[in-house]
Amino acid sequence: MAVLATFRYEEDFLAGAERVKTAGIGRISLMSPVPLEAAQEVLGLEKSPVRRFSLAGAIIGAVAGFAMAVATALVFILPTGGRAIISVPPYLVIAYEMTILLGVLFTLVGFHIVSGLPAWRDRPYAPESNIDRFVVVVEGAAETDALRAETILREAGAEETRRVEDGQ
Amino acid sequence: MTMFDHGQPTYAEVNRDVLSSMLETGPRYWMLLGTTMTIAGVCFFMPWIYQLIVGVGAAGMNRNALWGTYLSNFIFWIGLSHSGTLLSAVLHITNSQWRKSIYRSAEAMTLFSLMTAALFVMVHVGRLWFVHWSFPIPNPMGLWPNFRSPLMFDVMAITTYLTASSIFIYMGSVPDFAAVRDVSTGIRRRLYTVFSFGWRGTAREWHTLGAAYMFFAVFVIPLAVSVHSIVSWDFALSIVPGLHHTIFAPYFVCGAIYSGTAGIVTVMYMLRKFMNFERYIGEKHLDYLGKLLLVLSMLWTYINILELFTTWYSGTSFEMEALDFRMFGFYAPLYWEMILFCAFVPLLMLFRKIRLSWNKMLVVSILINIGMLTERFIIVATSQPRKFLPDAFGFYFPSWIEFSITFGSFAIFTTLFLIFIKWVPAVSIYEVKETLKPLRRDA
Repeated sequence: MAVLATFRYEEDFLAGAERVKTAGIGRISLMSPVPLEAAQEVLGLEKSPVRRFSLAGAIIGAVAGFAMAVATALVFILPTGGRAIISVPPYLVIAYEMTILLGVLFTLVGFHIVSGLPAWRDRPYAPESNIDRFVVVVEGAAETDALRAETILREAGAEETRRVEDGQ
Repeated sequence: MTMFDHGQPTYAEVNRDVLSSMLETGPRYWMLLGTTMTIAGVCFFMPWIYQLIVGVGAAGMNRNALWGTYLSNFIFWIGLSHSGTLLSAVLHITNSQWRKSIYRSAEAMTLFSLMTAALFVMVHVGRLWFVHWSFPIPNPMGLWPNFRSPLMFDVMAITTYLTASSIFIYMGSVPDFAAVRDVSTGIRRRLYTVFSFGWRGTAREWHTLGAAYMFFAVFVIPLAVSVHSIVSWDFALSIVPGLHHTIFAPYFVCGAIYSGTAGIVTVMYMLRKFMNFERYIGEKHLDYLGKLLLVLSMLWTYINILELFTTWYSGTSFEMEALDFRMFGFYAPLYWEMILFCAFVPLLMLFRKIRLSWNKMLVVSILINIGMLTERFIIVATSQPRKFLPDAFGFYFPSWIEFSITFGSFAIFTTLFLIFIKWVPAVSIYEVKETLKPLRRDA
């Protein structure tokens, strides 16, 4: 079973999360209706690896775009007024567009891989966290640790704590 | 002047207001949707089907004027698409708070304008069943596209823009899809569970979405600039007098952002009026959009003067003839109407009183877009039929089919937008909440 604590105030929520984290109890998830940098700092989240996907996509796109234009010109040769068959300036435009296209698509893939979404299985969730409440979820804790987490979170100002099915 | 004209809402009120606009549908909405769908069917699709049956000669295009209203409408709709995603991306990167309640609908405008523009390409090519020849895929005749042609740049640019804009708006909507899921039941709940990818709003999810969204924005800005530059090269890379100008790329990009921003004002007016978003789209938004429009109008005027100057300075007789026809020929009234609506009328926004009046701004924004639609028509209709020697001169006037399809395209755009506002929250719930002061214990 996981512990789910709901907070009304942001500062209580952050303080509760910090204390549970310091106590080293279970795995913590922090849910909020808006992105909170402070919550990300509590969990020690650093720069997102999504940027590596973006870079890889952009590089692959540039190379693939240019290669596609060259390959197309070689497969179907169109001699026009003595111009080069492999004509670099216009192919750079194609490479530019493909850089962006694959950059965007790889970023999308990166988002899904890093965030673990889509996730269809039931996981601890409180719908009010999508409205106006802040929620701390502690998963994978033994019973004594779960009790300790509940105490810490209530002391930090949780409106309510409850037990829900563990996500794993 | 604050962001909220009627007091700051609470987080819960934001959810309630935005979701109710989406989930509660009155008879007025259905009547409007039915009307626009009917107009789209009768004025756009039926004449198009007729043209497919009898051939593209049913339009007013002829041997000396192979491009007509379909292409000018294509440029117009691509242009209209420009401000949504571009403005949203620029304002996101610069962390502008006023963007947050208007960007979702502006991005939707981008998406649906692009779709409408893509339809015009299909209408223009005539033989729709060969449209796949523009993609680099093998076909039975062994034909491959020519990537040296700016038309192929267009295919790549618009495909990329449509993909990137769709992903940009979708990913920004994921947390809001979760909000819809949480208040829904039955099939709608299942659908929005899929749409939201099982979003819970955890710190890790926000962190990853924030990073990905920033990269989408970074990719979209140069893309948007490239798209209309490329559209301009469809014309400028030809040697046709009146089109062969190096200034065309910045001219088109500026014009696109200009008409797109005017389009945003029109859409915001409608959202405020008919979706009850008065609380979220306020005078501050109107004031900022008005100032932006004013700057863009001056830039647009400057580029137009430059175009005249470079033509005059070149002293080329063909260019002078094209310019003379544009300013004093058959279509001169349209040219001067464009100058009036796009260069002079926007100067009214120098007055704060005008910028802060929704009704007056609606009129100005519509006039600007009429002017921009005319501008696109003039570019196409006064250059191609006046190439070099008089024996190659022709004349272009749209047929009733082109008038009808042009009119119908506005109904298509409106239909798509009306469907959108019932499937996606038209105002971003979580980003509006970000602009609110958080509830603190000591407050």
